[in-house]
Amino acid sequence: MREQLEQMRQQALSAIAAATTEEMLNEVRVRFLGRKGELTGLMKGLGALPADERPKVGQLVNTVKDEVEAQIEQTMGRAREEATAKRLATERIDVTLPGRGRRQGSKHPITLVIEEVSEIFAGLGFSVAEGPEIEHDWYNFEALNFPPEHPARDMQDTFFVENQLLLRTHTSPVQIRTMLKQKPPVRIIAPGTVYRCDSDATHSPMFHQIEGLMVDTQVSFADLKGILTTFTNQLFGQKTGVRLRPSFFPFTEPSAEVDIACVICGGSGCRVCKQTGWLEILGAGMVDPEVFRHVGYDPEAISGFAFGMGIERIAMLKYGISDMRLLFENDIRFLKQF
Amino acid sequence: MKVTYNWLKEFVDFDLLPADLGHLLTMLGLEVEGMEQLGSGMDEVVVARVLEKNQHPNADKLSLCKVDNGKEILSVVCGAQNFKQGDTVVLAQIGAVLPGDFKIKRSKIRGEESCGMLCSEKELNLADESAGIMVLSGDLPLGTPFFEAMGLKDTIFEIGLTPNRADCLSVIGIAREIAAKLGKRVRYPSIVVPEYGEPVDSKISVTIQDAAGCPRYAARFISGCRIAPSPAWLVNRLNAVGVRSINNVVDITNLVMIELGHPLHAFDYNQVAGGQIIVRRAGEGEKFRSLDGLERTLAATDLMICDRDRAVAMAGIMGGENSEITDATTDILLESAFFDPPTIRRSSKRLGLHTESSHRFERGADLDMVPKALDRAASLMAQLAGGNVATGRVDNFPAPKALASITFRPERANAMLGLSLTAERMAELFRNLEFQVQPVSNGSFQVTIPSYRIDIEREIDLIEEICRLNGFDQVVATMPVAQVISDRPSLHQRLQRSVRDHFVAEGMHEIVSFSFIAADAADRLNLNVDDSRRNGIKLCNPLAAEQAVMRTTLLPGLLETASRNMSFRSLDLRLFEMRRVYHAITGQEMPHEPVYCAGLISGNRDQESWCQQEVCTDFYDAKGIVENLFELLQIRGVRWSSDEPEPFYHPGKCCRIMVGNTTIGTIGEIHPEVLKRYEIEHSVNYFELNFEELVRLSGSRKAIVAPSRFPDSVRDLALLALLDLPSAQLVDCVKSLKLQELEKVAIFDLYQGDRVPEGHKSIALRLCYRSSERTMTDDEVQQVHQKVIAALTGKLGVTVR
Repeated sequence: MREQLEQMRQQALSAIAAATTEEMLNEVRVRFLGRKGELTGLMKGLGALPADERPKVGQLVNTVKDEVEAQIEQTMGRAREEATAKRLATERIDVTLPGRGRRQGSKHPITLVIEEVSEIFAGLGFSVAEGPEIEHDWYNFEALNFPPEHPARDMQDTFFVENQLLLRTHTSPVQIRTMLKQKPPVRIIAPGTVYRCDSDATHSPMFHQIEGLMVDTQVSFADLKGILTTFTNQLFGQKTGVRLRPSFFPFTEPSAEVDIACVICGGSGCRVCKQTGWLEILGAGMVDPEVFRHVGYDPEAISGFAFGMGIERIAMLKYGISDMRLLFENDIRFLKQF
Repeated sequence: MKVTYNWLKEFVDFDLLPADLGHLLTMLGLEVEGMEQLGSGMDEVVVARVLEKNQHPNADKLSLCKVDNGKEILSVVCGAQNFKQGDTVVLAQIGAVLPGDFKIKRSKIRGEESCGMLCSEKELNLADESAGIMVLSGDLPLGTPFFEAMGLKDTIFEIGLTPNRADCLSVIGIAREIAAKLGKRVRYPSIVVPEYGEPVDSKISVTIQDAAGCPRYAARFISGCRIAPSPAWLVNRLNAVGVRSINNVVDITNLVMIELGHPLHAFDYNQVAGGQIIVRRAGEGEKFRSLDGLERTLAATDLMICDRDRAVAMAGIMGGENSEITDATTDILLESAFFDPPTIRRSSKRLGLHTESSHRFERGADLDMVPKALDRAASLMAQLAGGNVATGRVDNFPAPKALASITFRPERANAMLGLSLTAERMAELFRNLEFQVQPVSNGSFQVTIPSYRIDIEREIDLIEEICRLNGFDQVVATMPVAQVISDRPSLHQRLQRSVRDHFVAEGMHEIVSFSFIAADAADRLNLNVDDSRRNGIKLCNPLAAEQAVMRTTLLPGLLETASRNMSFRSLDLRLFEMRRVYHAITGQEMPHEPVYCAGLISGNRDQESWCQQEVCTDFYDAKGIVENLFELLQIRGVRWSSDEPEPFYHPGKCCRIMVGNTTIGTIGEIHPEVLKRYEIEHSVNYFELNFEELVRLSGSRKAIVAPSRFPDSVRDLALLALLDLPSAQLVDCVKSLKLQELEKVAIFDLYQGDRVPEGHKSIALRLCYRSSERTMTDDEVQQVHQKVIAALTGKLGVTVR
């Protein structure tokens, strides 16, 4: 019995050694350890042994069984590793082929600028207000201190529509609508579409503006400068030089044009800034007392500033767009770049 | 407004280079929009003398000259005939570059050497036409650059004036600004009129019938004028600021207008019947021929200058042909008046006639300048046209106006501006502006404003002057001190952003198209005659027929954009637009401006790929985008209704998107006829949603359900249904059973064709059953599944295949 067992052990171990694949090892397992396997059969033969030998031999059979089992497992592990390694060694893909799936779309640069500017002003405590594009003369002009027959109206060529209404020429009527609705303090910006009866390489009959308005008890021209400096620094990068110079708008006084140091040349002079080193990006000023009177605010008790900027202009500077018409042609080859 | 550096220097002393002066003006609010150097780079164009003028040996029409440039004698071939030996002329030497990039080189002309060119005014850009070369006065030093010798070296400033600064529409006005900034005094021109003989009253009478339109009218009589070309200095000066020379008398009125800012008009006195001037309004429909030769039809609001019999000028705008200065004119009635700005503006706008004169009057002239400008011009006419100025002037000024006087609080100025200037400094700034300052009680000032500053009417105007003159750059930026909690963006604003983000994630590109569309867009879209979208709000003054009506739908803009892109062979398009449309509301003054969002897709579903087959997009690509959007916005209960198809869609491939009884949008394949009208040759799918409805319907998130931990059982079910049974009814029917164990139901296959009976289709449903409490047995699953089958076959008449 013992010899038989030893012989079987040798046979099993050499069979394991000869096996090179998982399947062959499984066959070895079935042959020796399966229900009808040789070692199992030997176990079944234990009953024929004398009772006092049975435990000893039984133990011996189990030892051999465990040894064979362990050997199979070990060899099996190695065989699996080898098989995996072999498979991995042969599988190769071309990682330079493009990936699958749809590419992202894009927002229009005008939307991108409105969102960015709105975010910056949200951080400065300004909420977003809106108003109609088809407006009354009163909101668009009169309440903003453009009297009828005043030459200042020439600054804004107006589209008129039916019913004595017009297409707003600026986002400033939103100032009026906001102040009529609420008491001070006011801190709003109003992005929107505006229209002027003018079309050439640098003028589009439809374009976009963002209006800003702050009214409170002690707002000064210096505060206007502070807010606009902060804004331009955040939009165009820290330490963008800002310059205010006197100008005229009927609804602000003092009024200023706001220039930033040219973002293209850094102020040394180039084609974009017409060699001046400065780019005009904003109009601004202290709200004219007439405007406060029109909305029922007391100009002696409060003060405020307003500003307005052209979104197309900012988009062109930010993205280096040379021709404004590109913004309205909606060529997919242009839009895909945003 | 154009002024020159040299001209300004006549009125104020300054020690600034042209570039620095330009900066100073810009920072004063007189924005220099352009600077032009006169005569720069023209130093090779010099004064020279003709020593000999001989016939060219080989050309009849040319002469061969010896010319002295002060250093050497050069031989020059010349084609002009209007000069003689000994004349002083202008020589462009070798190396000179004339306007038009014309380089002067040594050359041989018909075999004779020519070392330069004798120049005409035209060749130097000093005149539009010239008859021959320029012959100069003999006293100019030979060899000096011509522009320098003539005092033509100058810098022209083009100033973009804001409409409030009527006072700066003159050289003197701009000089005043420079003086104020530099703390200097302006030298006003001294005006001495050499009056002669008869009193003006015996020649001229003035009647103002409309004092509102004409508060002041002054005139002088000048006899014996010789109408002639103006002297060169006057021509050059006017040229430099862009005014064409006419003759000495007209040029003088223009010169005074540029110099002092006040428009004048010179009449031929002998054409003014009775020497009578009557200022009145025109008769409605009255005809009048202005001196540009055009016949104008007048309105009753137009202010006219008339003589005893007829109109002779449109006040402040343009004179009449009947009384203009001609070569035969000898006696002149010179007008200097003040006209009401809105009156002038209305007439000028209505007539479409904008002149230097109307430009100034409509912005507001200076009442006090009326006699001064008159005298200045009269004295020049005596000087340059040999005229005799009659004694005295007519000055009809029924209601003289006192100068404006404004109370000014220095502390208010400092608070408003964020400055801390002393009251003394502010007073100094006012005095520099020639404002008179009187201290009054409690630290305030009473400030008297000169008549030319019509823009200064209120304290705030004075505050602005303080800031402007002290320098905007002196304001130190501060941050406002205020208690503000800004509102969170509204739901409308937040959802707009979410929807845009969604479309971008769906691979769509946002477009921005014009809000106004072509008037015939409604026809091109097949809209029914009674469709309210035909009632787009019309522009009264459109720039183009393609931009005539405010859009009522986003479809035309997207179709045009698609068409345009396709013409550039960009065929795979996924576009969206999210902007307002404009609906007139009957009985309401203000139109409604809802935001719509629309998408257009065409071409292949995916970009060209090595691993995917090209598949053309269809209705379901568009629908998927919309369905995902509804999921994002938590909009439930959406119906896709084939009723009442929109006329611009393929009638069998479109639907209304409804919630309850409200149509919130439409979707479909665009009708081939419509595509043709937009020159589109590829199939296009489109959807349009009313964003306002999306905001209204957007819901809160459904309660979150913890996923079951037990295994699922999946059953597929193939059903045979009539062809026109909407597939969604199968799913709705199953869902309506509200079976707890039904986790999911989906259509996973659709077949129409030979293998099913005619008029039928096969639809396969995949049903997923799962309990949240235990593993379901086969029997349990089968029981539930049977309920589903019973419902489908019972309610919808389908059969299990």
